[in-house]
Amino acid sequence: MKTCIACGMPMKKESDFAMGDTSKEYCVYCAKADGSMHSFEEKKQSLINFTIKTQGLDEAVAEKAVENMMRQLPAWKECF
Amino acid sequence: MKTKRQIQKEATRKIILNAAYQMYANEGFSATTNQIAKAANVSHGTIFVHFPTVDNLIICLLERFGSEINEHLHLLSEKDESLETFLAAHINVLICYEDFYKRLISEINSLPQEAKYVFINIQSVVSFHLNQVIEREKEKMAIKEIPMHIIFNSWLGLIHYYLTNNYLFTAGSVLTDHKDELILNYIKLIRK
Ligand SMILES: [Zn+2]
Repeated sequence: MKTCIACGMPMKKESDFAMGDTSKEYCVYCAKADGSMHSFEEKKQSLINFTIKTQGLDEAVAEKAVENMMRQLPAWKECF
Repeated sequence: MKTKRQIQKEATRKIILNAAYQMYANEGFSATTNQIAKAANVSHGTIFVHFPTVDNLIICLLERFGSEINEHLHLLSEKDESLETFLAAHINVLICYEDFYKRLISEINSLPQEAKYVFINIQSVVSFHLNQVIEREKEKMAIKEIPMHIIFNSWLGLIHYYLTNNYLFTAGSVLTDHKDELILNYIKLIRK
């Protein structure tokens, strides 16, 4: 199974992929309206906001955890 | 093509990770690399060929554990999944790793900082799925006005309490024995 290069989500159904296109390497949540992939800063901020919203974390902790996760992902190798 | 040497190396790495998983599940994270080496049937030095430090071994193990949970939950989750189904899927996944997970949540505060971040990211996968289910339920006006993080933390708090105090509730697997009760009553708490 493919996993999204930008957030690590497994992609199994068509609807998991950006634009429903199974040849894409990133998922529907990492795509902008025009189908292109989020930038590093956009993705980082949205993951931080998501972690705070769903887990109630302190912002500094959320940022560290998100950076830690993004560091492992192929899309952001150059950003660290 | 991988060389024979690479295949051999990956196999040994996997054997060490499996042994560490079992050791930590049985003994907690204070289990030593000597014990792990013995269980893996490799020399003590071999562990450090694959993992430069104990912290690194723990982090690699948690990352593997996280991606297994991620895959599991994703496969179980469907577009129109109900709250009941999702909570049952979460518990079923945890049952597969129950002893290890129990050690992990009891000892997380004494694990290295990076391990704590990996732990947060493991929970993010769960909160991601729960959030999707709750958003759908909120559209149907079926959930009380409670912030998402309280909905998530209450669920986690509930199952973590039962797990860390397993002995209070059963001699066997607390998740297996109390699954239905926990799901049913948790839903009563948050549903309108
Ligand atoms: Zn993604």
